[in-house]
Amino acid sequence: MSAKYRLEITKGEEVRYVSHLDYMRSIERAVRRSKLPAAYSEGFNPHMKIAFASALSVGVASEAEYMDIELTHELDPAAMGEALARHLPPGIAVRRLRPVSARHAALMAVVNLAAYRISLPLPAAAAGPAREAVSRFNAAAAVPYIKENPKGKREIDVKTYVSEVSATATADGMELALAVRITPTGSIKPAEVLKVLVDNFALPADPDAALVTRTGLFVADGTSRISPLDI
Amino acid sequence: MIKIPPAVLSRVAKPARYTGHEQNCVVKDSSRVDAAFALAFPDVYEVGMSHLGLKILYHIINRRSDAAAERVYAPWPDMEAEMRAAGIPLHTMESFRPVAEFDVVGFTLQYELSYTNILNMLDLAGIPLKSADRGEQHPLVIAGGPCAFNAEPLADFIDFFVLGESEEAVDDVAAAVADWKRAGKPGGRRGFLARAAAIPGVYVPAFYDAAYNADGTLAAVTANHPAAAPVVTKRIVADLEHAPYPTKPVLPYLEIVHDRIMLELFRGCTRGCRFCQAGVLYRPVRERKPETLLRLAQELVDSTGYSEISLTSLSSADYSCLKDTVGLLIDRFKDQGVSVSLPSLRIDSFSIELAQEVQKVRKSGLTFAPEAGTQRLRDVINKGVTEKDLEEAVGAAFRAGWSGVKLYFMIGLPTETDDDIRGIAALAYRVLDIYREVKGKRGARVSVSVSSFVPKPHTPFQWYGQDAVAELERKQQLLKSLFKDRSISFSWHDAHVSFLEAVFARGDRRLGEVLLAAWRRGAKFDGWSEYFKFTVWQDAFNETGVDPHFYAGRERTADEVLPWDHLSAGVDKSFLEREYRQALAADPTPDCRRGDCRVCGVCQGLGVDIIDWGTSS
Ligand code: SF4
Repeated sequence: MSAKYRLEITKGEEVRYVSHLDYMRSIERAVRRSKLPAAYSEGFNPHMKIAFASALSVGVASEAEYMDIELTHELDPAAMGEALARHLPPGIAVRRLRPVSARHAALMAVVNLAAYRISLPLPAAAAGPAREAVSRFNAAAAVPYIKENPKGKREIDVKTYVSEVSATATADGMELALAVRITPTGSIKPAEVLKVLVDNFALPADPDAALVTRTGLFVADGTSRISPLDI
Repeated sequence: MIKIPPAVLSRVAKPARYTGHEQNCVVKDSSRVDAAFALAFPDVYEVGMSHLGLKILYHIINRRSDAAAERVYAPWPDMEAEMRAAGIPLHTMESFRPVAEFDVVGFTLQYELSYTNILNMLDLAGIPLKSADRGEQHPLVIAGGPCAFNAEPLADFIDFFVLGESEEAVDDVAAAVADWKRAGKPGGRRGFLARAAAIPGVYVPAFYDAAYNADGTLAAVTANHPAAAPVVTKRIVADLEHAPYPTKPVLPYLEIVHDRIMLELFRGCTRGCRFCQAGVLYRPVRERKPETLLRLAQELVDSTGYSEISLTSLSSADYSCLKDTVGLLIDRFKDQGVSVSLPSLRIDSFSIELAQEVQKVRKSGLTFAPEAGTQRLRDVINKGVTEKDLEEAVGAAFRAGWSGVKLYFMIGLPTETDDDIRGIAALAYRVLDIYREVKGKRGARVSVSVSSFVPKPHTPFQWYGQDAVAELERKQQLLKSLFKDRSISFSWHDAHVSFLEAVFARGDRRLGEVLLAAWRRGAKFDGWSEYFKFTVWQDAFNETGVDPHFYAGRERTADEVLPWDHLSAGVDKSFLEREYRQALAADPTPDCRRGDCRVCGVCQGLGVDIIDWGTSS
């Protein structure tokens, strides 16, 4: 009897610059090293049955990623977590894990909100103008932005995805917190929001020096946010 | 410890090349061991991480308690620019310590066109490029690998070379460095070099002087130091069964060139292709036992989690227990999602059977290397395959369901005529015909890849004058004009690259200045077509007054002193001469593996034997 498990895992500082594909492959290799009874797809080129909630860009760390994995038979979740922990590379840790039923909706389909923290080094004199830039963004009714991808350009309204950014002072600059909506028709990356803040709202920061960390992924409705592990 | 600013990492391509923390990497406090090695690969991370030799060195040094080995690769030019702008010196991936703080910096020499990267890495490390300019505070700069067998173009830059297989030599070098340091570095750098020169296989170029004749040819390379042997002979591992093998390799995050388990079945090759340098340098054949391979494979699967085992060797299909071993490996690992692959296949139907068994090849298509287009020329180069072999193999492949075949050839081989070039095209068309005969319809795809022959030191063709670039290009065009069928795709290598390879492969010490001049003009990553600029090299030759044709295109006479005559691979020069004469007469030499010893000198001179388990079972 095959069994499906959902895991909450991290992408720490050590693996911040690893791409999503490479991150997934590292986890697959750890699963193989840990000798968990992973289920494989049939066919000529079998692959491990693993699915992730959403991709992270190169350079973005995360405190809470989610993945579903299918095993060929049921296992004690604690033993499974321990086996994996012994084999995951530095920076990737299992925070929580639990069995989910095969009927559970795919992670990709249910997650609709991502929270981020952006750490910005700033000189002391820039703190005031930076706060003002953030408030002007928050006050704007609409923020047009041209999204470019290999398929072409498309104008979007940043506000459709991010209604508010909050700013907190830190020892060497500022920390921005934002929640980004993930919709069936698209979303926006935190780096793009930062670019908009710098280009359109004169945020006095170097986007290259920013450190972006995903702090959570959620299934949200008008009133609540729950983690995909608590559905 | 060096910290790379996030702004730098967010601007460069593939930042994971530089951030380390890979699984299985060994992090010691290298400042607290007696011999700290920075193992340097003069190419980008994805290439360097794929190199088995470097993994072996890393493993052997790190199992010593008095030594540490860390890794460093050439930063890609975008990263190099950032490092220079931010004043970040070249550093290792384990402890992020500057390379200049290590006791030893060891370069792996795989390819002549990586030489400028060595200079660039030394410069990025802040280490004086020339040995003569280094002081007591600088690391010892050493090098090994196939190109060390003609060390002369790098003689000014490398403190010492290690010739041959390094499994045992690296322990000797580490012990010597540790002893010398514990003794308070008696005699300083020169004192250490004298100790090193006493280690078999170690070549200290500063202990030799080169003298030239009026016509520019070499008169002699003579030792000027009592510790220096007149001829330095390669190291060899007689017993591969018990040699250390890296079964816990560093696991990259990035996808590297060979991103899979590499299982070395055996070392050496005795087929005796006359163009092949590896065939000489790694003589004789020494096989591992199937049960040993199975054990190593199990350890590798357990420590890496890779899903593919690639059976590597110079010609894996020659492994005497191949079929059994492949079967054993497939059985053992199939339930763990681990597949087996064979990267290089000889042309015969046995290989097709195996290829079917391992399946994995189907994705990439089949590759054959007839090397030359006519039987006469294949006899000249001693490539022991016939057109009938090719026909049978390709027919078997088509019957087994393949429809694409890659064919590798060389042009510019000794005695080559235009008929031989036409023979290449004829073979490609023959493959299309075979498909029609087997399948009763069209539909095969043939890709023909042609490189230009580079005469290499220590081979029977070491005396041969390379075809001029214009002649190679004419032959490429001739061949191109013969391919009119859309089912055949044709690709060829830049002849200028092969020319430069030949210059450095057969160069002497006077090329050191050319390397410096080219590097100063910005040459680096010359092996990458997007960075190779021949005009930079032309300017460097002009500036230094060195004529490259003297090295690449000149036929050398049998009595000429060659720049590598004082470096021995164990194979007698007289054997190579005999082979060259036989080549010109299109007279093949059979494989020496099964009892027909041609007395090349290796087994006799180095006290080793061919180890072939197929004969004893
Ligand atoms: S000495 Fe004889 S058996 Fe040994 S490698 Fe040479 S030719 Fe082959």
